[in-house]
Amino acid sequence: MRHIPTIAGRELGAFFVSPVAYVVLSLYALLAGFFFLSSILQFNEIVIRLQQFQAIEQLQAVNLNDYVISPFLGVMSVVLLFLVPGITMGLFAAEKANGTDELLLTSPITIWDIVLGKYLAAAAFVLLMVALLGLYPGILFLYGDPEIGKTTAGMLALLLTGLLYAAIGAFASSVTANQIIAFVLSFVLLLLLLMLSVIADLGAAGGALGATGTVAELLRYLSTNDHFETMVRGLVDTADLAYYGAMIGSFLILAKAAVESVRWR
Amino acid sequence: MIEARGLTKRYGEIRAVDDVSFEIGAGEVVGFLGPNGAGKTTTMRMLTGYLPPTDGTALVAGHDIFEEPLAARRAIGYLPETPPVYPEMDVQGYLRFAARLRDVPRARLREAVDRALERCRLTEVRRRVIGALSKGYRQRVGLAQAIVHTPPVLILDEPTVGLDPTQIREIRELISNLASSTEGGERHTVILSTHILPEVEAICRRVILIHQGRKVVDAPLAELTAEGQSLEEIFARETARDVVEEAAA
Ligand SMILES: Nc1ncnc2c1ncn2[C@@H]1O[C@H](COP(=O)(O)OP(=O)(O)O)[C@@H](O)[C@H]1O
Ligand SMILES: [Mg+2]
Repeated sequence: MRHIPTIAGRELGAFFVSPVAYVVLSLYALLAGFFFLSSILQFNEIVIRLQQFQAIEQLQAVNLNDYVISPFLGVMSVVLLFLVPGITMGLFAAEKANGTDELLLTSPITIWDIVLGKYLAAAAFVLLMVALLGLYPGILFLYGDPEIGKTTAGMLALLLTGLLYAAIGAFASSVTANQIIAFVLSFVLLLLLLMLSVIADLGAAGGALGATGTVAELLRYLSTNDHFETMVRGLVDTADLAYYGAMIGSFLILAKAAVESVRWR
Repeated sequence: MIEARGLTKRYGEIRAVDDVSFEIGAGEVVGFLGPNGAGKTTTMRMLTGYLPPTDGTALVAGHDIFEEPLAARRAIGYLPETPPVYPEMDVQGYLRFAARLRDVPRARLREAVDRALERCRLTEVRRRVIGALSKGYRQRVGLAQAIVHTPPVLILDEPTVGLDPTQIREIRELISNLASSTEGGERHTVILSTHILPEVEAICRRVILIHQGRKVVDAPLAELTAEGQSLEEIFARETARDVVEEAAA
C-alpha cells in the first residue's frame, strides 16, 4: 500500500503533460457555463411568466435549488458520462501499449498498489472537475438564497457519480491495450448503467420482466439514476452511499482481477 | 543467486519453455543464448515475476518467486526486450519513479538516481523528455532503471537489439563495467539474453543455450571453445536439431 502515492503521482503528472486533461477540463468548463446559463435564463422566464399571471402560490414554490441547481447537476452528470472515459481510458491500456506494465509488474509492489494508485489519480481529477463546477452554484449564493444543505447534497451526488464512472472506466481500461476500445467500452458500460432504470420501467410497464417486479427492482437499484435523483433532492441516505461504495469497490476488484490475469495467460 | 527449477510455460499446446533448470552463482555473468522464439524472453519473464510458470519455480537471491514474490523482485534489476519507459517523462523523473517503486529510501533517492545517470552516461540528458531521445539513449535509460536500486541480480533481455554499431559497443562496455563492478562488496550476477554471438564472447563467462524451449547447452565459454570449435559452430549444430522430435522418438 506504500506505493499507492508513487503510482498516483506519476499518473497525475502524465494527465497534465498530455493534452487530454486540458481538453477534458476546458470542454467541461465550457459545457458547464452553457448549461448553467441556460438554466438561469429558463428560471428567469418561469418567474416572469408566473408574475404576469399573478400566480402567487406557484411563485412561492419556485426556488433556485429545484429549478436551477438540480437540473444543472443532472445535466452535468450526463456530461461526465462522456468525459470521464476520456480520463480513464489510458490508465492501464497505455501501460500495456507502452510495455511499461512490465516495469510495474516486475517491481516489488502489489497489484492493489497499481490499481488503487491509478484510481486515486483519476478520482483526484474528478474531484477537481466537480470542485470547479461548484463555482457556478456558488455564484447563486451571492445573488440569491439557495439551500446550502440541498446544494451540498447535490454536489456530493455528482462527485460520487463521477467517482463511480472513474471506477468503471478504470475497469474498461484494464481489459485492453487499446485506449479507443477502453473509451468505447466504458462509455457503453456507463450508458447501460444509466439505462438500467429505463429498462426496468419499460419492463415493468410491459410485464416483460415477469409480474414479480423483483428483477425490475434489482435493475433499478443497480442503475445510478434513482440514487442520484434522491441525493440531488437533498436526501443523503446511507443506503445510497453504500450503493456508490459497493459499486466502486466491485469495479476496482474487477480491474485488479483483469490486471492480474496477464499472468494467467 | 538464481536457481531455476523445472521452469515450464505452456501456451495451449505450445511449450514455450520446457522444464528448464539451472543454477547461477553470485558474480557470474551468463549469456542466455538461443534463436528467435527459443523461449529466452519467456524464461526471463518467469524469473522476474511478470509471467507465472505453468510448472516449476525459481529462487532469486534465496527467495522463491511464488512464496516471496516481492523479496525476489526487489533483488532483480530487469531490462525487458523493449525498454519500459514513459515517453512523456524526463529522464531523471523516470529514474526517480523507478527507484521509488523498488523501495529505495527517500533520503537516498537523489544519490541513487545520480549514480545511475552517471554510470549509464545520461547526466547530460537528465532533464530531457524520454520520447525525444534516440533509441540508443532510450536503451541506456532502460538500463539505468534496471540498476537504480543497485540490485544483486541483473536480467537483461537483448539489450543491444536494434542499435547501431557505435551504440552497441557503448552498451556492451556499460554491461561489462556493471558485470565487473562490485556492489557493496558483492559482484552483480548478470543474465543476458541474445542471439548475437560476439556479444556473448565479449561479455560472458558461461553460456546457456536454449532451443525450442529446452536447455541444450550449459557450460563455461572457455570449456566450449577449448576444442577449437567456435561458438558459432556450436550454436549452428545445437539449433539444427529438432529436440522436440528427438524426445518424442
Ligand atoms: N502470449 C503468447 N501466446 C502464445 N505463444 C507465445 C506467447 N508468447 C510467446 N509465445 C511463443 O513462445 C515461444 C518463445 O517465445 P520467446 O520467449 O519470446 O522467445 P525468444 O525471446 O527466445 O525469442 C515462441 O514460439 C512464441 O511464439
Ligand atoms: Mg525475446
